[in-house]
Amino acid sequence: MNPAGPLLAARGLHKTYGHTKALDGAEFSIRPGEVVAVMGPSGSGKSTLLHCLAGIVTPDAGSIDYQGRELSAMNDAERSALRRGEFGFIFQFGQLVPELTCVENVALPLRLNGARRRDAERTALEWMERVEVDDLASKRPGEVSGGQGQRVAVARSLVTGPRVLFADEPTGALDSLNGERVMQLLTDAARSTDAAVVLVTHEARVAAYSDREIVVRDGRCRDMEHAL
Amino acid sequence: MSPGPRTRDLLMGVRFALSGGREGWTRTLLTGVGVGLGVALLLVTTAIPSALAARDARASARSEHTAPTAEQPGRDTLLIGEADTRFRADEVHGRLLKPEGPDAPLPPGLESFPADGEMAVSPSLDALLKSEDGALLRERLDQRITAVIGDEGLIGPGELAYYAGDDRLRQLGGKVPRVTGFDNSAEPEPLDPVLTLLILLVFVALLMPVAVFIATAVRFGGERRDRRLAALRLVGADARSVRRIAAGEAMAGSVFGLVLGAGFFLAVRQSAAGVNLFRLSVFPGDLDPAPWLAVLVALAVPAAAVAVTLFALRGVVIEPLGVVRTARPARRRVVWRLLPPLAGVALLYPMIGQGDEGGEFSQWQVIGGVVLLLIGITALLPWLVEAVVSRLGTGGSVAWQLAVRRLQMSSGAAARLVNGIAVAVAGAIALQMLFAGVEGSYTRNTGADPTRAAIMAMIPSGSDAAGRTEAVARQIDQAEGVTRATALTGTELATTTGDPQRTAMLTIGSCAALREVAVLPSCKDGDTFVLDGGDDPAGAEEIAKPGRKLYAGAVYGDDTAEAVRWMLPADTRRVAARPDPNGEKRSGVLATNGAAPRNLGSSGHASVYIQLDPSVPDAVEHARTAVLKADPAITPFHLQDTEQSGRFVSIRTGLLLGASCVLLLIGASLLVSQLEQLRERKKLLSALVAFGTRRSTLSVSVLWQTAVPIALGLGLAMAVGVGLGVVLLKMVAAPVAVDWTAVASMTGVGAGVVLLVAVLSLPPLLRLMRPEGLRTE
Repeated sequence: MNPAGPLLAARGLHKTYGHTKALDGAEFSIRPGEVVAVMGPSGSGKSTLLHCLAGIVTPDAGSIDYQGRELSAMNDAERSALRRGEFGFIFQFGQLVPELTCVENVALPLRLNGARRRDAERTALEWMERVEVDDLASKRPGEVSGGQGQRVAVARSLVTGPRVLFADEPTGALDSLNGERVMQLLTDAARSTDAAVVLVTHEARVAAYSDREIVVRDGRCRDMEHAL
Repeated sequence: MSPGPRTRDLLMGVRFALSGGREGWTRTLLTGVGVGLGVALLLVTTAIPSALAARDARASARSEHTAPTAEQPGRDTLLIGEADTRFRADEVHGRLLKPEGPDAPLPPGLESFPADGEMAVSPSLDALLKSEDGALLRERLDQRITAVIGDEGLIGPGELAYYAGDDRLRQLGGKVPRVTGFDNSAEPEPLDPVLTLLILLVFVALLMPVAVFIATAVRFGGERRDRRLAALRLVGADARSVRRIAAGEAMAGSVFGLVLGAGFFLAVRQSAAGVNLFRLSVFPGDLDPAPWLAVLVALAVPAAAVAVTLFALRGVVIEPLGVVRTARPARRRVVWRLLPPLAGVALLYPMIGQGDEGGEFSQWQVIGGVVLLLIGITALLPWLVEAVVSRLGTGGSVAWQLAVRRLQMSSGAAARLVNGIAVAVAGAIALQMLFAGVEGSYTRNTGADPTRAAIMAMIPSGSDAAGRTEAVARQIDQAEGVTRATALTGTELATTTGDPQRTAMLTIGSCAALREVAVLPSCKDGDTFVLDGGDDPAGAEEIAKPGRKLYAGAVYGDDTAEAVRWMLPADTRRVAARPDPNGEKRSGVLATNGAAPRNLGSSGHASVYIQLDPSVPDAVEHARTAVLKADPAITPFHLQDTEQSGRFVSIRTGLLLGASCVLLLIGASLLVSQLEQLRERKKLLSALVAFGTRRSTLSVSVLWQTAVPIALGLGLAMAVGVGLGVVLLKMVAAPVAVDWTAVASMTGVGAGVVLLVAVLSLPPLLRLMRPEGLRTE
């Protein structure tokens, strides 16, 4: 493995839902510690690209290489293990388990990795402190605001020390002030752990937090850095 | 004129139920299917009495029991002989026919009389006789099939029945009924209070879970509806208005359910002809609910839907920004929840002991008491689930933690999920206890010993007693699986003829046959004996004196033959009677064939005891065939050591039938309810899988979420069921005993249904966990 090379790279990705081509030969790569914004209009294939890169969805064709391992060659259990251990996720909606308290939500990925409850919740609290939501530890998601909930989700996405963080419209449901606060915390925390961030957004102000922008249109990617 | 604000709100609710795209339709469909299943079962249940009445009417219309008869043959007379038989566990209704004139009454379902050696059969019997399975029966019913009995001649579409033409009936003279029509207007005996109580309880115990289920079904999709109502609050609807909109929506769903239910019912009714449950089949046309009950269902279901919706919304605060901020609802209180079961006990308590004196129970009081006790379960269960799960620790596996937290957050939904099954199990336990408690009163020890003779073939009087019985026995003895066929004939002994004051019974047979009724230290042909210790010794003690001249045979002078003079030999010995295979201890005189009086004519009666080899498959079928071949007029009786009241057995069968339907319905409802809850969490499940949660973790969590409330529900059901059972047993003054096997089996069946549902919901759960759930476009 070349340490200077890409951490995650995709080539010639194709994905079709019914008659709709979500990806049509998309290319993508990201280096360790890099924040890449994936932009594009609604329905352009941004989320599908993220889901393919994260091993959530299997592309119809093409290859995805993560540190020399081909994702499409892995079975479901191996991809799940990869997502548990190496990747972190933040979505726009519906990601916190409503019946668990905030600290239990943050500790969940650690528990899924086999950590003891007490240890997992101690680590979770440390991360909640870093994103300034430790006072919400015993509250349930239904009892906190949208911005607070997203910060809890940021803590949860980082709690396992992922190499790649996938964020799908993480500020989509937040006002601009809360959105910026979340982005600041997210990118700072990621950089402090040298995690790469794949950031799907259609907002330029969110994309401004990235090192590089990729535009997805009609299922194809265009690297704006190279285009300039 | 524009509608008022209330009507407008209700109509808007109806519109929401019917529009709203795929989401709205799915929700309405789920509610509709749920309510529809309940309505269909209600309609089927209300149609059962009419279906049973129709079966009785069909049976009466072809019966000869109270039919008009004639003394002499005429243009309109018909000789009809009973020739019922059984094939394995199925009854076969059979009649032998011999019309004596051109206007002889034709049994319903026949277009013409079958000629001698021909028969008309029901469609089911026709199919059975043509099948390989029916080959043994075909040997017995070997007449040529020339016609099929029409529906009007059958009590149900699955009935096995035949009419055979038989000229031999003429030879039996006045020994078979000579009818000029068909009728059975004999009034059935009124039901005793205990059986009435059982019937009431069967209906209550079966219908209560259906009602509970309907109440659950109208709450399907509640969370999404609350979010929609919150959106309406945002655009200016007030709190009352959104409640009316919700009521309108529930009403629309339940009316849709009524339509679906009517459709399901018609489908069930249409397919009823092909269903044979517990050996009962019903013609679709007979399965008609009473109109007033159908109207009651049509009105009560939507009204109940609205009431349940408003009741469910009473604790929910719908605000413009949603209902999610009301995270921790007020704790449930147990005090008022105890009121329904206590009121139920209070209603039932005054009736304790009434069954003992043959008194009557107040039907409404019984129904009210039992309904309140069972409703108590639905009131207590949410409190119990909440109280227990709030104390459960979240240590252990992630699956357990997810399940416990979910239960803690929405214990009401979990309790609703198992309410129906808990009510059904409680009712079933109470009924089983009552059935077991009163079973002794409706079960009789016959004294018969089936190991000595499985069948007793009664040869009708009128047959020539001399030699005929032995010939029949020899013929039966040849049949496969028959170990022994023992013939005994009997006639009367008296000191005078015409109008004897006292008679004794004379039993005639071989030494081996006589040993079936007496303990004989020694016996040879030509011996005679007087029985000691019989059930009716009075006549024998007075008449049976050795050396005395007696009359035997037609001592009453009412037969074609005359009584014959016979002297009881002086060397007649006294021997002890023993129960015959039918359990009867005979009295009177025993005579071996060589010592018996001659020329007794046809006044005697005879029976053949048939012992079977249990190791021979279908031995009983071979024996039945041999009996019928020997003489179609012989009636074989199957000897059993115990005998149960037919009505008691019917009620028990009804319970089994109904309980099967209710359990099926509850299983279906649980599945729908489970899927509905999973569908609500589709996005969350997909997100959890996205960040690496094992599917097995989520599946086990769902199983825990079902297992915990069901364990609590079944525990409560056991307690209430046993409590109700004790009260009911005390009401009928039966000894109070808990039949733990029945309790365990009823609880096991309930748990089995839930487990099955949990397993069936796993494939959809796995589908819902697919990453596609994350897609928003």
